[in-house]
Amino acid sequence: MKKAKTILGEARQIALASDLIRLGARLQVLESETSLSRERLLKLYKEIVGKSPPKGMLPFSTDWFMTWQPNIHSSLYMNLYQSLNRSSELDEIEVVVHAYRMYREYIGRLGMPEVLSITRAWRLTKFFDAAMLTTTGCGECHGQFVVHTYELTGGYVCGLCDMPSRAGKTRANRMAAYADAENGERAEEATV
Amino acid sequence: MKVENLLTEIREANLSYLILAQNMIRADRAEALVRLGLSDEVAAIIDQLTAGQLLKIAASNMLMCRFRFDDSLVWNLLLSHTRGSENSQAAGMHAAILMAGNAVEAVV
Repeated sequence: MKKAKTILGEARQIALASDLIRLGARLQVLESETSLSRERLLKLYKEIVGKSPPKGMLPFSTDWFMTWQPNIHSSLYMNLYQSLNRSSELDEIEVVVHAYRMYREYIGRLGMPEVLSITRAWRLTKFFDAAMLTTTGCGECHGQFVVHTYELTGGYVCGLCDMPSRAGKTRANRMAAYADAENGERAEEATV
Repeated sequence: MKVENLLTEIREANLSYLILAQNMIRADRAEALVRLGLSDEVAAIIDQLTAGQLLKIAASNMLMCRFRFDDSLVWNLLLSHTRGSENSQAAGMHAAILMAGNAVEAVV
């Protein structure tokens, strides 16, 4: 990590930290990616968000990225990350910020919930650096998807080509559908 | 469509495409490269073009943009996404993943 010795360098670090905070990053991400002191980061966080950062450990499991919905979302993020990484020479954390912004744009346009947080996205990048996770090509659509590094991936088929029957049927979705149906019934009654 | 109209339309499409590309490159180089599927070298050239040069380049009989996703799978996914069927969100997501991964090495 670069030490912020100059005022300009420090300004850059503060800009990066505020970008990350606005995207919803946890304090641990900021501590690891900037050279600003913990006290200053805390102050910055409070100034931007208006409250103290959440406490507790970061999610640390690689298995979370393997379940159906998170896997799809992390694969989209990782594809964007790798494309950005290939095409330009930015610092890793800047690529994370750019890729995450683009990921959010896609999700917003598709009207899907934001499953992957910036903290998870950063973790995912670290898991790739540590070679704990990698991407492999789907045998049918040839898209790249996130998998465990030492998993046997011969004949791998992604979760979108071969959708599990209960895919995407989460509790939250069911409740939303139920509420919609109820509203529909009420509207019908009103017209009768 | 008459040939003259066709040529005019090609020039207009070229001009708006080049202006858009230049704006994107100037606003955020890294994201523009991925969105446009462009190499850093060509992006640097487009970045430096003057308005007059843009006009002259746009006045070609060839389209300056091309289809990036020459893959019927991507197009079928995009179609089923626009149809708004049951799995339309998943299809949109699937297309997004394929397009994002293909973004830079697409043009051979």
